[in-house]
Amino acid sequence: MKNTDLPEAGKQDTFRTSLARIPLLGWLIGALVAVLLEHLTGLRLAEALLLPKVPVLFGLVTMLKTPLLIPSSVFYVLLIYILPTFIVARLTRPLTNRLSAGLFNLSPAVSAVIHLGVFYAALHLWSEISDYRVLTVKLTLIAIMLTLSLNLINGYMGEFSCSHPGFMALGAYTASVFTLSLFTDSRMFGTAVFQAGYGPFLFPAALILGGFTAAAGALIIAIPSFRTRGDYLAIISLAFMFIVKSMIENMEVIGGPRGLGGQPDYANLPAVFVWTVLCVWMINNFVQSVLGKALNAVRDDETAADAMTVNTRQTKMTAFMFGAFWAGIAGGLFAHVLRYVNPATFGIQNLAEVLAMVYFGGLNSVYGSIVGAVSMNLLGEALRPLEIYKWIIIPLLLILVMIFRPAGLIAFKEFNVRNLIRPRG
Amino acid sequence: MAKCMKILVLCLAIGLAVSPGVQAAEKAIKIGINAPITGDIPKVGEGTKFAAQMWLEDIKAAGGLDVGGKKYPVELVIEDNEAKAESAVKAMTKMITEDEVIAIVGPQASKQAIPGGEVANNYKTPMISPWSTNPDTTKNRPFVFRGCFLDPFQGPVLANFIKEEFKFTKAAVLYDVASDYPKGLAEYFRQAWEKLNGPGSVTAFESFTTKDADFSSQLTKIIQSGAEVLFTPQYYNEVALIVQQAHELGWKNPIVGSDSWGSAETVKLCGKDCYGLFFSTHYAAAGATGATKEFIDRYNKKYGYVPDDVAALTWDSIRIVQRAIQNCGKLTGDIKADRQCVRDAMAKIKEFEGITGKMTFTEEGDPIKCAVIVKISDKGEYEFYKSVCP
Repeated sequence: MKNTDLPEAGKQDTFRTSLARIPLLGWLIGALVAVLLEHLTGLRLAEALLLPKVPVLFGLVTMLKTPLLIPSSVFYVLLIYILPTFIVARLTRPLTNRLSAGLFNLSPAVSAVIHLGVFYAALHLWSEISDYRVLTVKLTLIAIMLTLSLNLINGYMGEFSCSHPGFMALGAYTASVFTLSLFTDSRMFGTAVFQAGYGPFLFPAALILGGFTAAAGALIIAIPSFRTRGDYLAIISLAFMFIVKSMIENMEVIGGPRGLGGQPDYANLPAVFVWTVLCVWMINNFVQSVLGKALNAVRDDETAADAMTVNTRQTKMTAFMFGAFWAGIAGGLFAHVLRYVNPATFGIQNLAEVLAMVYFGGLNSVYGSIVGAVSMNLLGEALRPLEIYKWIIIPLLLILVMIFRPAGLIAFKEFNVRNLIRPRG
Repeated sequence: MAKCMKILVLCLAIGLAVSPGVQAAEKAIKIGINAPITGDIPKVGEGTKFAAQMWLEDIKAAGGLDVGGKKYPVELVIEDNEAKAESAVKAMTKMITEDEVIAIVGPQASKQAIPGGEVANNYKTPMISPWSTNPDTTKNRPFVFRGCFLDPFQGPVLANFIKEEFKFTKAAVLYDVASDYPKGLAEYFRQAWEKLNGPGSVTAFESFTTKDADFSSQLTKIIQSGAEVLFTPQYYNEVALIVQQAHELGWKNPIVGSDSWGSAETVKLCGKDCYGLFFSTHYAAAGATGATKEFIDRYNKKYGYVPDDVAALTWDSIRIVQRAIQNCGKLTGDIKADRQCVRDAMAKIKEFEGITGKMTFTEEGDPIKCAVIVKISDKGEYEFYKSVCP
């Protein structure tokens, strides 16, 4: 390790390399300690710093609303999140390195599950402080699923699909009809068929059914449109989105334009988290599989891929339906988080938001999708106090990203779980 | 690195030292406003915001809100719902759990008010939507109220009015099938009209989809059907197009509208074509008297245009919240108990004298109030024509 260019050359390692040698487990444990600290002392510290409440989204909302509180908010974030995370991560480095090495050698899968468990514990404790955080986290996780599933089509496959809100609507409505008709006494579907107690256990079935409906919808567009390339898919898929929207608007059984409400409250944080992890895992495996590589080959040159014995048509169809499936699942979760769906939600505006998240985060990249979805969602919430100026700042950011990094923030980067959880010591 | 840290800590310490004590001596009463300030219907959000701010001025001038002989400072928490359902839910959750508002005014459109009401009811926070006409907003939700009459009331009011005024027997309807408000109202009107004039008396029931701009084929059908009157429960931008195109195609009979016509923009966009037409609404700006006139003049002076029904309904709704807080008698400081108290006081409000008429809440939290039939005068003003009470 080179450390000659800094004055503290005498020390064993520099600041930066010392950070680089902390394994992911160390950071996660640091974060866990930080949120525990917030649980124990957050309120008292906030009071001491004259903050009205515990800063909900890292103090950003407080800062924008009352600029006088900027020092207090920064101080809070530093004391509660940054310093403890850093200190704990640094102090436990030898321990966590040994631990992750042991786990890694034992089985990478077990290690990954443990990492996820620690991450979830930190997320759960953090969001427990306020229901607003819970809602924001849930919608952000759903946005990750949507972004990732669209990235599969627009990034990995290289087509421009506009039908995502349509798939989402199909999933949302199918899952809602399933839960509403089977487990609740609703005005539209009569009394419950099963006892409400079975509901949470059959909720995955509702979501999967929603996913399959969306995939079936994808098949309907895929058959005619994959005979063509480029802009045509964009047009056909845009048309599909409108077809789905007006179909729902004209179906009185499911509420028509008035929407469908009163879904049971099954989409709690653990459920949404598990589905998101499943989605990231499956899509990540998919894009790294032979089929995923074939997909990239089709994107780069379809004729060449065909000559190399890639079944281009089948590859494209599979990827498209797979993306639609996850959009359907995300839609089902979305409906059960909001507990109300309305066809107008799944329109052009929704499409623009998902596309923005994909292109902001980065094409052809699982990392990018996560970064795009999280940053767009957090920005959207954090900049709330700016009202109309929010819609100047966010598009401006998008323009800047498009100018300086045309493929998005973190494009064309593989999401390697093994590399992520390996020891660094 | 160590130097950097030192400087950082020093900066923070100085910043902390100079940051003033912001804690107020008396805990303020917070009222949430959930309005579509950006998105599809910014004019609605603007009216909501302006009316609420005008109300706050009054309270501030009075030195705070007087509850049980004690003056409390009042704060408004205005959140933008971007005219989206999920954003309305987020804003609602934020105001209830983070800002700890005692009551919420809004969201305005049913698309946001239905999911928003669900959140308010779950957290046992009183909410009053000034403008949402969908029955689902308040249905089975003890904590949710509204400030306007419902579509099942407005439809028959218009049918009866046309029957009495013009003695017509054949009507046509043109509405947006993709938007819940026009669609619901069109159906309630058809039911009422067929009840009055027998089946088949609605000679044409034509629809279009949001953002359509050419209505000539529907209008031609309507004209050929022999209808004597056209009912179109549309928003201001479509009203102008429909009326102008109907006149171009040779339609001479009256065109009647609903409360969605009430925006100041309708006449601005429609011009002379709309003069002499009728619509039902919550209040009439021209020829208003008493408190209503006072409100209109103040608003006009401050913001430069005559307030539309959204502003008037918001004004009434926020004053209902004020009345409920005052009727509550005493605030304990425990937000949950206070919210319950405000909700109970609100449900008991009888004969509230609003600028849009007298209101008494039903069990469901819907007000019993009169509708006003407005005629667009030859100067393009909204003139009071008659009042129809349930």
